[in-house]
Amino acid sequence: MAFKISRAFLAAAFLGASAFTASAADYKPENPECIAPANPGGGWDFTCRQVGKSLQDLGLIDTTMQVVNLAGGGGGVAYAAVINKRNDDNDLIVAASSATATRLAQGAFPGNTMDQVRWLAAVGADYGVIAVAADSPVNTLTELLDQIKNDPTSVSVAGGSAVGGWDHLKVLIAANAYGIEDVRKVKYIAFDGGGEAVTQLLAGSVQAFTGDISEAKGFVDSGDIKVIAVLSPDRLPGEFSKFPTAKEQGVDAVGANWRGFYAPGNMSDDAYEAWVSKIGELYASDQWKETMAANGLAPLDLQGAEFQEFVSNSVAQIQSISREIGIIK
Amino acid sequence: METLNSLADGFVIALTWQNLLLALLGCFLGTIMGALPGLGPSNGVAILIPLAFTLGLGATPSLILLTSVYYGAMYGGRISSILLNIPGDEPAMMTCLDGYPMAQQGRAGEALSLSGIASFVGAFIATWGLILLAPQLVKIALLFGPAEYFALFTLAFATLGGVASTNQAKTAFAAAIGIGLAMVGVDTQTGVPRFTFGEVHLYDGIDFLVAIVGLFALSEVFIFLENKHGSSDAAGKKVVIGRLMPSWAVLKQCTPTMLRTSFLGFLAGVLPGAGASLGSFISYSMEKRLVDKEGTFGKGDPRGVAAPEAGNNAAAGGALVPMLALGVPGSGTTAVLLAVLLSLNITPGPLLFSQQPDVVWGLIAALFIANFMLLALNIPMIGIFTRVLLVPPRILMPIVAMVSFVGIYGISGSSFDLQVMIAFGVAGWVLRKLDVPLVPVILGTLLGNAMENNLRRAITIDNGDWFALIDSPLSLTLWAIAITGFLLPIIIGKVFKRRMKMSRDQESSTTD
Amino acid sequence: MSDRIFGVIGLALAIGYAWAALIIEESFLSDAVGPKAFPLIIAAVLAMASIVILLKPDPEPRWPELPRLLEIGAAVLVMVLYANVLPEIGFVIATAVAASYLTWRLGTAPLSSLVTGIATSLGIYVVFHLVLGLSLAKGPLGF
Repeated sequence: MAFKISRAFLAAAFLGASAFTASAADYKPENPECIAPANPGGGWDFTCRQVGKSLQDLGLIDTTMQVVNLAGGGGGVAYAAVINKRNDDNDLIVAASSATATRLAQGAFPGNTMDQVRWLAAVGADYGVIAVAADSPVNTLTELLDQIKNDPTSVSVAGGSAVGGWDHLKVLIAANAYGIEDVRKVKYIAFDGGGEAVTQLLAGSVQAFTGDISEAKGFVDSGDIKVIAVLSPDRLPGEFSKFPTAKEQGVDAVGANWRGFYAPGNMSDDAYEAWVSKIGELYASDQWKETMAANGLAPLDLQGAEFQEFVSNSVAQIQSISREIGIIK
Repeated sequence: METLNSLADGFVIALTWQNLLLALLGCFLGTIMGALPGLGPSNGVAILIPLAFTLGLGATPSLILLTSVYYGAMYGGRISSILLNIPGDEPAMMTCLDGYPMAQQGRAGEALSLSGIASFVGAFIATWGLILLAPQLVKIALLFGPAEYFALFTLAFATLGGVASTNQAKTAFAAAIGIGLAMVGVDTQTGVPRFTFGEVHLYDGIDFLVAIVGLFALSEVFIFLENKHGSSDAAGKKVVIGRLMPSWAVLKQCTPTMLRTSFLGFLAGVLPGAGASLGSFISYSMEKRLVDKEGTFGKGDPRGVAAPEAGNNAAAGGALVPMLALGVPGSGTTAVLLAVLLSLNITPGPLLFSQQPDVVWGLIAALFIANFMLLALNIPMIGIFTRVLLVPPRILMPIVAMVSFVGIYGISGSSFDLQVMIAFGVAGWVLRKLDVPLVPVILGTLLGNAMENNLRRAITIDNGDWFALIDSPLSLTLWAIAITGFLLPIIIGKVFKRRMKMSRDQESSTTD
Repeated sequence: MSDRIFGVIGLALAIGYAWAALIIEESFLSDAVGPKAFPLIIAAVLAMASIVILLKPDPEPRWPELPRLLEIGAAVLVMVLYANVLPEIGFVIATAVAASYLTWRLGTAPLSSLVTGIATSLGIYVVFHLVLGLSLAKGPLGF
């Protein structure tokens, strides 16, 4: 369901030509805008909206953060749009995550690399989950992987990213760790966002769901789906502690979907520093800690240069995993 | 009973002076935005989000404002369809088919008030449907897997034939062009660019708003330029406005139509991915099949106005079901509303009704209020709307053209989009000359992507087996309807064409 | 005749579309159907429809005479120019000029066209910018 509301949407209208203004050290974005490179309801959208709202609540920005949904190509549409059309924009930040790094690592944004934009900061990490419908006979990750091992055509796994994207990769990492030889046989169905993927799990069109905890939470609370594995090193704190990790089931797979932002490549240093410090302040606030706790986000405190380095490591790491699994040459 | 109590609580929440004023404001702005070509319900709502936030409104008042805009825009779209033959937004496309001929026959006022009443009926029934059936309806949405969606979209295209033109080949041509245009951009399944020719502007595809405004509004301007005979058009054709309210006979004739199409439209709205455009389209085509015995649809049949309007407003209500109960947007506008809910820290989903009843019931009460307000607002204003017809086309048409440009530019801020729109305008003019219907082109650009993605999902789920498309009773039923709908007009088409020709001959002999 | 030419153009379009679909670069991992299949189906439908149109043409439409055609061509030109200069000279001026031109060509006296054009432009500016808050192109004069 690719409604092209994306561009016809929200803030584009308010951007106007006034983006090039103040550049003092105390840079304050006039028309702060956040691009969520997916349809409303997914992880990126959540990142933009939560951060936008919290920044305003904390008084770090004066006006409402406009959230623009620019879906398509697993974030590639937004990435290309920022580089090609908005490269000088000081008021713009874009939600990113491991999914972005994955596609960059695999060269799936044709002609674009990670150093064409400036990486701002992380706001937390969202561990991957693998879930099945509540009435599914499958109860553990190993049962699911056994099924896939015996007959890969019998299990369709739905996720919100495109083929080869991060949601897809998470299943592949788990399958690989479990000793499934040709992981490319694992059947993955791409939907436009986690919400749609969960719906199809409920509808019974697919047998399993791969996504992030924040996407699955509402349906777990309502008892519609059951999480069979969290891809975290240890059990998560709080109400999420009831979910078993993949590791404790003998599948050594960890998939943390970090969430953060990048900014246009030619953003001025003043603006860049200002955004980094604003997001840093936000991250340190109690309000954000509550948001993280409520949504199953684990801490990941990285800003500015540190974050830049983290992303570049993460890209390198995914490249090597992808090569090992055999999905890139 | 419990439901009614909750609803009463909802009214208590919604019925404050502030909320009523917000609803009034929303209805008014929504109607205007719906009527202006280029601005539809989805960007209408989007445009007003910052207003809601800067006013510092809470969750319920914000939702009241924005849903009023939503319903208002759904009402407003019909105005320019009927008066100018230019749909104000995409669901109002079908209203042109009979609304404009009615206006030309001097029944503009009647068409406007009838469509207003039909909108009201559709929205009213849909809101009750939302209250009484939301939990059960979710189950219907869950019956639709990728294969069923694909069959549903095929059904829509297969039944196009009888609706838009008498030449099936040209209809198929138009639909293929529309779907083909939808393919432009980055493929959402694999992330590879298609048909972009390296042009970055095309990466996110062609916006259907650009297509609709170009095809309908600009081509209308070109038609006027072509037919201009000095100033004779102002004097030559007398503008008749006629009565403002339909007679009881007409209302009575349309009542079964409104009830049937409200139901159908509501169902279409409930399915995420189908949406209001499909709702109004299916309503019109089914109704035409059902009651159009004399072949009057498309020539100013009041039922042809009532059907799509009841259908699209009912679909607008229906689209709220999956949004609230599943967190999955059923249309472009509900996607925006969903975004609003999320930023208000309300997570729609299976637990919304039990966890945040005040929001849900406040919202539903607001829908009722907006609906009554719109009816009250629209009927007396019809006299004013019809004045538009008194403006001579030589002045009106440039305004239409400029409003179209502004609508697109104001949203996307892109000159590239404007040029694409002009190209669509020229194409629209040529296609109209050749008697190729435009409705299928729009339907194709709207639904093409969803159609393809669901096809690919369905087949991938069944391991590359194309029979996956027909392996459930529901999809088989949909296919059966689609095939019947496709073949029937071809078989009876010849008879129909002959009759058309006869009536056309008669017409020309009387006007000459 | 028109329909026959139209059919040929449609066929050419279908072939061009199919060719453009075939050169889509596939990514390293794909779904069972791939990004090419559906566009190819559409190209086939387009081709079939074009052939039917080619073989069974409708009655000839009434094409405008050359001067009328030029009139439309000129209007298209004005619109393209408008789209391009809009971000440069600002909304109000560009719109006033374009609206005046169209009004004039549709048969209004030159002076009243100018007045109408300016009024149209200002009216739209008020409704869209001041009331609805859409940001329209700002020219050097700020409007």
